[in-house]
Amino acid sequence: MNEEREKIEDIGSFIAEYSAHMMGCGVHTSRVIRSAKRIGVAFGYTVKISVFQKNIILSLADKGTKELYNEVIDIPALPISFEHNARLSALSWETFDKHLSLHDLRSKYDRIVNAPHINPLFVLIWVGIANASFCRLFGGDWHSMGIVFSATLIGMFLRQRMTAAGINHYIIFIVSAFVASLSASTSLIFDTTSEIAIATSVLFLVPGVPLINGVIDIVEGYVLAGFSRLAQAALLIICIAIGLSFTLFLVKDSLI
Amino acid sequence: MDIFWSTISQYNSATWIYQLIIILIGGGLTLLLLRRPDRWVKIAMKVFLILVYLWISIVYYHIYCAARSYNIIMSIYWGFLAATWIWDLARGYTQFEYNRKYAGLATLLLVMPFLYPLLSWLRGLSFPEITSPVMPCSVVVFTFGLLLMMSRKVNLFIVLLLSHWAMIGLSKTYFFNIPEDFLLVATMIPALYLFFRDYYLRHLTDDASKPKRKYVNLLLLLLSIGIAVILIISLILELTTDVPPHLTHFNR
Repeated sequence: MNEEREKIEDIGSFIAEYSAHMMGCGVHTSRVIRSAKRIGVAFGYTVKISVFQKNIILSLADKGTKELYNEVIDIPALPISFEHNARLSALSWETFDKHLSLHDLRSKYDRIVNAPHINPLFVLIWVGIANASFCRLFGGDWHSMGIVFSATLIGMFLRQRMTAAGINHYIIFIVSAFVASLSASTSLIFDTTSEIAIATSVLFLVPGVPLINGVIDIVEGYVLAGFSRLAQAALLIICIAIGLSFTLFLVKDSLI
Repeated sequence: MDIFWSTISQYNSATWIYQLIIILIGGGLTLLLLRRPDRWVKIAMKVFLILVYLWISIVYYHIYCAARSYNIIMSIYWGFLAATWIWDLARGYTQFEYNRKYAGLATLLLVMPFLYPLLSWLRGLSFPEITSPVMPCSVVVFTFGLLLMMSRKVNLFIVLLLSHWAMIGLSKTYFFNIPEDFLLVATMIPALYLFFRDYYLRHLTDDASKPKRKYVNLLLLLLSIGIAVILIISLILELTTDVPPHLTHFNR
């Protein structure tokens, strides 16, 4: 009896940590709930879960013994990770299909979570290339693409360093947008598609994942979580607009 | 084009004596930094760089390049660079510690500002309508050389801002017909590769990196080669075609 009680605590604690990590790294709410319930079922427990913007309330029940386990856990602020999203989701299926022990489940989870992050230089270069491609898609010429690539490297580097320094992310967005667009505004001295260059230089900051997740959450009925995600994304977009406006006010009044 | 060279001409005529003083101070501080790298010398070098960047921002762009379109952008950009150096001075980030490894390339970069006027002269230009050692591109090359020579701990944000300037140089060679800027970009490419490799990959093991260190290094190498290829194409385009009139009207 005592062993079982410990088990429900261990499993409840694991599921809470697992769900919070998934929410933190940008997984939409219904997937988090499905995965958490799947792991609970694999161990013979029923999982009830309420997800909010900043924390999760979790309840684990053993229908046989009527035993209950409750936990409230804060959602950590983690970088968006599609890899964690996919691998942690797959882990819940593996637990369900192969009836993994909690020890195995925990070690696999730790391996996923503690795997090395993607090299920041690798991210920097590809974000620069992606943003330059956006510039092309919006009608920018080759000169603008080059300038946007370089401006994005500057803005993204600043974002990476300020994030590592633990600076408030609204300030990070304002400063990064300002510096990237200021750098891109150097295109104005050439006869090139400079307006497109300036506009697309800040696109790397657009919070695409919260926007998409917000819509998915609302459509799937998690309206509170969805709206809070959209509200947060809207604040970040306002921050980008503030940073971009600083540049436009500075460089030429005709641009705004 | 006319305005571009006439602003340079006015700037050189009016400031050559101050430029000479700046060159002497810069040269003296560089020698001191190499021979007696005391703390005050490092601080003095940073103060010197802040003043030179402000000089470019205010004297060169704001005053003498007022006739050019959007000179204010360049003025702000160089002001921002000066502000970044002030932040670096306050935080003591760049340490100016000698690194023997890249001494060859660094020496070449430090000499480059003097090659600029020589190249202008070889192209048939004469004073005051020539590029001089206290102009934006020359200052960028000098800073790159200095940072590479003292590259144990470098402020990569400043390097990125300067490389952005160098990237603009690629377009300038084509739009404004300034082949001198090829020197800037050509020497900048290997320096950039070395700065990035040292900053991101020097202390990294394969286990701690995803993708593996060698693949990230390969990507960086490919990027550098890509920029070099674009540079060569720009050079060929400039040598084989005249700049269309519609590309220069905005600067007249």
